[in-house]
Amino acid sequence: MPDFTDNLRPSQPDGPTTLGRERQQSNIATEELGQYLLGSDGFLERQARILPIIEQEPLFSKEQQQNLSRPERFKLGVARAKLLRRMKDTHKWSYLEYQMAEYLVDDVSPYFLHMEMFITTIREQASEEQQAYWLPLIESWKIIGAYAQTELGHGSNVRGLELEARWDSRTKEFVLHSPTLTASKWWNGSLGRLANHAIVVAQLLLPDPSSLDQYISHGPHPFIVQVRDMKTHQPLNGIVVGDIGPKYGYITMDNAYMLFDQFRIPHTAMLSRYSKVDPKTGTYTKPEQPALIYGSLTYVRSNMVHRARLVLARAATVAVRYSSVRRQFQDRDGDKKGPEMSVLDYPTVQIRILPLLATTFALHYTGLAMQAVYKKARRDIEKGDFRSLAHMHSMSSGLKSLCTILAADGIETCRRAMGGHGFGGGSGLIQVNNDYLSKPTVEGDNWMITQQVAAYVIKRMTAAVKSPDTAGVDETDARFKEFIRNKRRPGSEKQTYDILNSDFHIVKSFELRATAMAYEAYEQRVIKERNWNSLLIQLHKLSRAQSESIIVATFFDALSNDKALSEPIKTVLWDCYRLFALYIFRTNAVSQADLNSLASRVQELMARIRPHAVKLVDSWMIPDYLLDSALGRYDGHVYEDLFNRAHRLNPLNRITFNPNYWEDEIVKGSGHNGRGILSKL
Amino acid sequence: MPTPPPDWVKALKPSGPQGSELLQQERAQSNVDVERLSELLHTKETLERRASLLALLQPEKVFDKSQNHTLGRVERLQRSLAKAKRLQQLAEEHKWSMQELHAANDLIGEPTPYGLHASMFLVTLREQGTPEQHRLFLERAEKYEIIGCYAQTELGHGSNVRGLETTATWNSNDKTFTINSPTLTASKWWIGSLGRTANHAVVMAQLLIDGKNYGPHPFVVQVRDLETHQPLDNVYVGDIGPKFGYNTMDNGFLLFNNVKIPHVNMLARFCQVDKETNQYAKPAMPSLVFGTMTWVRANIVLDAGGVLARGVTIATRYCAVRRQFQDRDADPHAGETQVLNYKMVQVRLLPLLASMYALHFTGRGMMRLYEENQSRMKAASSPDQESRGAGPEQLRAGANLLADLHATSCGLKALASTTAGEGLEICRRACGGHGYSSYSGIGPAYADYLPTLTWEGDNYMLTQQVARYLLKSARAVLAGKPARNDTSQILQAYLDRRDKGASFDVLDEDKDIVAAFGWRTAHLTFEALKHRDAEQRSWNSLLVDFWRLSTAHSQYLMVKNFYEAVSSPELSAALDPETKGLMHQLFRLFSLHTLEREAAEFFSSGAVTVRQITLTRTTAVLKLLDDIRPHAVRLVDAWAIPDWHLDSSLGRYDGKVYEDLFRRASEENPVNDLVFDPYPWNSALLKNEPAKSKL
Repeated sequence: MPDFTDNLRPSQPDGPTTLGRERQQSNIATEELGQYLLGSDGFLERQARILPIIEQEPLFSKEQQQNLSRPERFKLGVARAKLLRRMKDTHKWSYLEYQMAEYLVDDVSPYFLHMEMFITTIREQASEEQQAYWLPLIESWKIIGAYAQTELGHGSNVRGLELEARWDSRTKEFVLHSPTLTASKWWNGSLGRLANHAIVVAQLLLPDPSSLDQYISHGPHPFIVQVRDMKTHQPLNGIVVGDIGPKYGYITMDNAYMLFDQFRIPHTAMLSRYSKVDPKTGTYTKPEQPALIYGSLTYVRSNMVHRARLVLARAATVAVRYSSVRRQFQDRDGDKKGPEMSVLDYPTVQIRILPLLATTFALHYTGLAMQAVYKKARRDIEKGDFRSLAHMHSMSSGLKSLCTILAADGIETCRRAMGGHGFGGGSGLIQVNNDYLSKPTVEGDNWMITQQVAAYVIKRMTAAVKSPDTAGVDETDARFKEFIRNKRRPGSEKQTYDILNSDFHIVKSFELRATAMAYEAYEQRVIKERNWNSLLIQLHKLSRAQSESIIVATFFDALSNDKALSEPIKTVLWDCYRLFALYIFRTNAVSQADLNSLASRVQELMARIRPHAVKLVDSWMIPDYLLDSALGRYDGHVYEDLFNRAHRLNPLNRITFNPNYWEDEIVKGSGHNGRGILSKL
Repeated sequence: MPTPPPDWVKALKPSGPQGSELLQQERAQSNVDVERLSELLHTKETLERRASLLALLQPEKVFDKSQNHTLGRVERLQRSLAKAKRLQQLAEEHKWSMQELHAANDLIGEPTPYGLHASMFLVTLREQGTPEQHRLFLERAEKYEIIGCYAQTELGHGSNVRGLETTATWNSNDKTFTINSPTLTASKWWIGSLGRTANHAVVMAQLLIDGKNYGPHPFVVQVRDLETHQPLDNVYVGDIGPKFGYNTMDNGFLLFNNVKIPHVNMLARFCQVDKETNQYAKPAMPSLVFGTMTWVRANIVLDAGGVLARGVTIATRYCAVRRQFQDRDADPHAGETQVLNYKMVQVRLLPLLASMYALHFTGRGMMRLYEENQSRMKAASSPDQESRGAGPEQLRAGANLLADLHATSCGLKALASTTAGEGLEICRRACGGHGYSSYSGIGPAYADYLPTLTWEGDNYMLTQQVARYLLKSARAVLAGKPARNDTSQILQAYLDRRDKGASFDVLDEDKDIVAAFGWRTAHLTFEALKHRDAEQRSWNSLLVDFWRLSTAHSQYLMVKNFYEAVSSPELSAALDPETKGLMHQLFRLFSLHTLEREAAEFFSSGAVTVRQITLTRTTAVLKLLDDIRPHAVRLVDAWAIPDWHLDSSLGRYDGKVYEDLFRRASEENPVNDLVFDPYPWNSALLKNEPAKSKL
């Protein structure tokens, strides 16, 4: 319907003009940087190939999804997930290609747990015989599965789980039973409405050999259980299962509750690659390496570390582009007649956005390093060598905690830095923010899991203190021992580094801080035997310091060893390294004078990065379809897009209200005096 | 709705100890007199009024909250209008005062489409309209015969009012104004109540007379037909679409294609265009406006305390009920530890508990200053006062104090709303996984609160005003002008003692804490002044410094107001000595925790020593956490937020957290009505619905 608004244009200079200027003023080759960041495993090539296929499918249009009710939005999510799975067959996509399609559609897939935790757990924890039976059924999607571990009253502490799996030696079955309400499974994705099978983690109860009516708990173990009828899709007798209701985000996921009432499953249901119950005697065999139970959790955590960079890059892309286009107030010292200033020229905006832009690169290198450590540890474990497991577990816990918090807080900082429009649906940061905010608490609460890092570090320090004069068994050990030796030398306590002039000294100062905090924690806990709870705040800081030191060192190593990048890119990445490190700098391993100069150094680095900001975010090559953002569009048509969404796409504008309070009618002409609104209550 | 669960599920109880028992224990271990503290915070009348409103509203079906988080946007807004209408009907029936209507709306817990009519539209007409305009517009608006909104911000223009693009051109030939939107970015945007509800708007537009621009002015413009509710010709108006929160409000856009309005529609109490001479009459800058803005900001600060209290109440109660892991050092057979006993939970929640009290007392302090000034101004203008000849200094001193508060209150607004907004998110995360559920009640409150961080001036932009004022005051003090208000006094005190050094005893003397905060502000002010005046640095390059300065000063104001409140005779009279002592502990926790977080500035200004900072961190704050911990539940109980208002499974007064989460999930969740066909190659989505789907 044409109207006078069709001819209106935004005031000048408009978005495309501004972004054009931004791109002209930087000599960064975005294609080169993009390929460097995302080209190595064919990511960009896949993105370019699959994007047009997705975009032409009406079901994947994102125009209306923010307006839907929870049931409708969930149905849309299921419909999309089904179609994607069918497209995998029609287009003969590999798993990576299929993942790309999902990434672009950007719904949390309601089949996610089927494809990840369900199948991974079978692969890792089922015996060969069990794998031979279940894997074909899962891979061909003949059964749909989920992973049910956490309970209503129990999250991170797996040992506290209440669901029981009691061995009935007479019938050779396990009996699943929820003794309390808090034993209800809770939060288990893909299970609320979709799955017909689940891995269920329950306390294994076996008869006490010394007294036959008594049972002994052997801790939590995984069982595979059918939960819904294959024909009717109704829960089986003795099982109550459903969706837990609306959440902050994850609207397309059916997180579940589930309770069992004396529900019997066969002996073969217990996944028995590592722990077994002998069906004849009811005897239990222990796994060699109990930490293996957490193997898949480590896998999930290291993936989260790797994915954080793209999530943050998305937010930074929107914030940098829109803050360039958006203008507000004239410069007080400048030309009062000229156009308003681009808000990205305000240091108060820069200090919120540019350190986050630098963080995207920091997370990139850390993600790669974490993947490498994970792969190596898995290879070692397959060979029966478990030595790297503790290190990997600690590293993945600490980095999961830090990287997901950096990304989650970063999205919100970017959103708020955009003023009013950041709050609107056209920002493109609402769903990603709401979905991503689950990450700081899921798969180990970010505060709780830092204890695991601290415990590991204290253990390493305790070992180092015992023989400080021997050679270090690894890099950490060597660093700890050097610190202890230095401590013994008089007059060497106050070591300072030249962080303003030496990139390497920045790394050293982060490492020294982490080591000193490790030693301090060791002293408090081991020497002074302070109570663990009273140390928790300190231990959390210790974990953060360790992880920050890993990120900074990884960033430094990557840039130092690089031989491929062209000069302009390398220069600005070094500035990003410095900005990232100095922005989070908290240590006294520098002189007071340097500490005082830190703020102006940060401002100077931001001024150097500022001209390249738009091209740096362009290099992450995030397509407009994925951004789904009026503010962050590549072409800068911000205001036209916002208006189009409000004016043409908004279903609310198709109904007319009756605004008089003395008439109960809500929608004009509906004539039912408002009863329609209340009838669903 | 789904069928209720079978009996064996209904019979299940949470594992012990029960949430209700744990909260009972919590309440038993503290002597805080909840009732007296509540009355001190809210007054007895307010509490009673709220209780009677609650009894009236809660049983009404239209105010049911159970589906708030599952509905689609269109239906949600329709229900929101239904709620607004019902509230208005009740207001009429029960002859509610303005305050009662506000209190009722607050209990409903969501903004409604009448929101901007009831606030900004009426206020603007009242304050900026002439008696003739009151008759024409205000009287009808008060009866809801016309429904309005306040249309200021535009698609391309937020905080900078001077940048607005909508124009109002004076036509001397037919004595009308032409309202026009020359560009797309001139579209009014974010205007609450305008999208689908209002038929009138106060429109801020650049006044053009004979080609000259006189800046933005307010005009009353009818935008929709009173019968059909359709937009008038050449008016383009609608809702701007879904948002992060505030989805029960129809924020609107509005464009004009050369729409003519009569002369009387320009609100003309302070400035006008003379109909005969076509001359613009200049506004006399009303001091009243200062007062109103201070009042608005005092309310934002006060509200920030209440909003934060909602999150802290939920998180504190839930963390007392939730247990996780055994204490590493405890008996291995002991049960899991209450999460609230973990130091890293305490260090997140208890300083926020202290902050909500700090915000409350600061808002109260601002309000008192505003009220004192109002009565002083009234007294000054009354004739018998005049004849007695009050000394001019006395009057100016009052005005001076208010001007001081006005200039600094925008910084407080920024700090208060940021503290509350970010505090809610900290509370949500402190609840672990269940904090992510909408039934936590925190996420939705956070999403609805966030706009406060931007409106009434973006929080980062506002800090410039405070810095500008502080620099001006510093120049005056340096020039030897007498220090008449608080800001000048802390600057003067700093100059007097700068050579001797500060040596404040922040660990033992409460008043020294206040002085240390004042010292830091003064130090940062003179540093900034040096950069700007002596070194001639550009304004833009100093914005980060100004932001830090404004934050520092606002923190000082909060610490000072909190200190004055806890040392006041009213507080001593209202509370028993033990609770009073606890209020002092909260003051110390708020102040010292802030001091620790901003340690670098306190150290570099010389307000405290490194040793004092270390002791604050390693000893004083930890000790305060230990001291306050046993009283945490009672300290949130005293805020007296009704369960219906909290709308939270986690924060229920009775601690029945798990029962309520389960009940809502299994009985109030429409997703459980859907039975899916889970197989990708069966394109039918549902097994219990005809194949044709709305998708």
